[in-house]
Amino acid sequence: MTANTTTPATTAYHDPLARRRLIQTIFGRILIYALLLFGAALILIPFFWMVSTSLKTEDQLFVWPPKWLPDPVAFENYFDSWKQLDSIAPGLTFWRIMGNTLFITVLAMFGEMFSAAIVAYGFARFRFKGRDTIFFIMLSTMMIPATLTMVPGFLVWREFGLLNTYDPLTLPALTAWGPAYIFLLRQFFLTIPRDMDDAATVDGANTVQIFFYIMLPMVKPAFLAIGVLAFQGNWNNLQAPLIYLNTTQFFTLILSMQFFQQSLSKSAPKWHYMMAMATMMAAPILLMFFTAQRYFIEGLNVGAVKG
Amino acid sequence: MGDPGAFNTYYPTLLRYIGLAIVLCLLIYGTYRGLRALGVKPEAATGFSLITPWIAGRIVLTAFPILLSFYLGFTEYNILWDKPKSLQDPLFHYKYALSLKVMKFDADERVSIAALGKLDAEGPRIARYRELDSFTIGDTNYVIGATDPFFFKAVWLTLRYAVFNVPLGLIAALCVALLLNQSVRGIGYWRTLYYLPAVLPAAATALLWWWLFAPKSGLINWGLGQVGIGPMGWFTDKNLVLPSFIIMSTWGVFGANTVILLAGLKNIPPELYEAAAIDGAGTWSKFRRITIPMLSPALFYNLIMGMIAALQLFTQQAFIPTDREDGWFLNWFIYNEAFNSGRMGYASAVGWLTSILIIAITLLVFRSSTAWVFYESSREGEGA
Repeated sequence: MTANTTTPATTAYHDPLARRRLIQTIFGRILIYALLLFGAALILIPFFWMVSTSLKTEDQLFVWPPKWLPDPVAFENYFDSWKQLDSIAPGLTFWRIMGNTLFITVLAMFGEMFSAAIVAYGFARFRFKGRDTIFFIMLSTMMIPATLTMVPGFLVWREFGLLNTYDPLTLPALTAWGPAYIFLLRQFFLTIPRDMDDAATVDGANTVQIFFYIMLPMVKPAFLAIGVLAFQGNWNNLQAPLIYLNTTQFFTLILSMQFFQQSLSKSAPKWHYMMAMATMMAAPILLMFFTAQRYFIEGLNVGAVKG
Repeated sequence: MGDPGAFNTYYPTLLRYIGLAIVLCLLIYGTYRGLRALGVKPEAATGFSLITPWIAGRIVLTAFPILLSFYLGFTEYNILWDKPKSLQDPLFHYKYALSLKVMKFDADERVSIAALGKLDAEGPRIARYRELDSFTIGDTNYVIGATDPFFFKAVWLTLRYAVFNVPLGLIAALCVALLLNQSVRGIGYWRTLYYLPAVLPAAATALLWWWLFAPKSGLINWGLGQVGIGPMGWFTDKNLVLPSFIIMSTWGVFGANTVILLAGLKNIPPELYEAAAIDGAGTWSKFRRITIPMLSPALFYNLIMGMIAALQLFTQQAFIPTDREDGWFLNWFIYNEAFNSGRMGYASAVGWLTSILIIAITLLVFRSSTAWVFYESSREGEGA
């Protein structure tokens, strides 16, 4: 039949009804892209403004109307903000703060990854009495606000004599801190066929070997996804460091930003320095996002599709 | 490059970290051996012993602190003291936080704060009623007094924020997800782009929007000026504090919601739409009868997570110093009571009240889910 071989375009040319439909589709497409571009502008302009401000000199900040591009470009903002912090709080230098932040973030991240994997493995692959009840309790702990444990948590760590150390920020991670991570990994462990364990057991592997050589490699996407989420979560955490750290040399990046805003920037906001610090804080996370985007999205989607 | 002191502060923590890791491994192994010795089957023994790190952590770091906080709520405890002191009236903190009084004033009479009186409870300090708000019915003026107006302001701000921000973020995300689902070219790039604000750390988002919203030289007031709208005092004007926070958070979160909803949309089998088209369903009824029910689990997940996050907002408030009179977010209010004013007892009591509120709201949303969330598996169950 000839009708089947003609392309939609030629049909549209001959048939006025189809032609109208084609025009409608084209308009629809244009509208969709216009809306998407509008949304993109809403997202990108603030980003651009952050980086642009971070490169301006002080007298360019309050120019009216605002200038989009910095001229001259002041890269020194990125160093001067730290010099200023160092001058009011000796020892609060870029390298020290970076070291503190990475130390806390990396220890807490590995702690959360491995402990969550072990606990999730226990929940997913073994039957025991009360398992489902405990799992339900675990999920309910997600509702307990951080506010409730803030005051007594502080008192407990004070009792241990570990205030103003990195312990309260890293050690709890070893006890499978995040219910969401356990849930995510459990969903992945559940999809692995039971034959895998059985075959390995027949071959003489013990539980530890099965876990590290068979199970963990099979849930690698979820394992890395919680790694990414845990890194991001600890990097961005303000509440805990704010409570537990009070010597400026011990500060994390986010805490030094808050300190800067509360001290040097209090009466007259130094936007160029604050934007430079915001950019510095965002840069590693954005870099990680662009290189490991898949894992960010993996972590997000599990809840949506399987929850 | 690090200064010489750095290592000395890291290594004790590192040692304790490794020590705790070893202790937890021994705990798992010990539990396993113990259960086996009691004659428990290997599978059950292994499973239970693997979750012991979680159980131990929650007992020491969650259950115990919660009970401690419950006790502290009935005591007077300054951060500088070693021990809490007992209160003459154990419920003083709760009374202080929750007391409300409505009084009538004649239209021409000036509101006198002293007329509101003081709290009828024995406590460490005299708690006077202060003006929270006033309203008029007919010719009569009423004044609402509260012993702690800041607590009520915090509750009111946090609740309004959650109620407006979460649905708004979901609707925005749904619109973008529907757009992106229209077989758009380069969907990966669009998705990355829209997800970008969600990866920006909350601290950076807060500082950035505070700057964008700056009353005199902010970009937004400049943009509004171009279309003839006068400069607005975002974050400083009493009526604009809440909208400012909502705009900032919606910008920050809707991309993440979009990604989740988009995954949900991609999971809807196309046959459903084809079958509906044969039955003569229009675009709207397809959206109403297929898209929304099929997407409801994802919408529900976003709603729950969004609610929990909105009710606990902290970081943004820590970076944006709004006026306490206009209301602070609950979490920030409690932090300041505990660590700036040093009132640990009162902060514990308010922490409990807040937690009850948050849990009640979350459970309410959960209960509502049976009415509107549609699960594939439950439909199959009905058929069988």
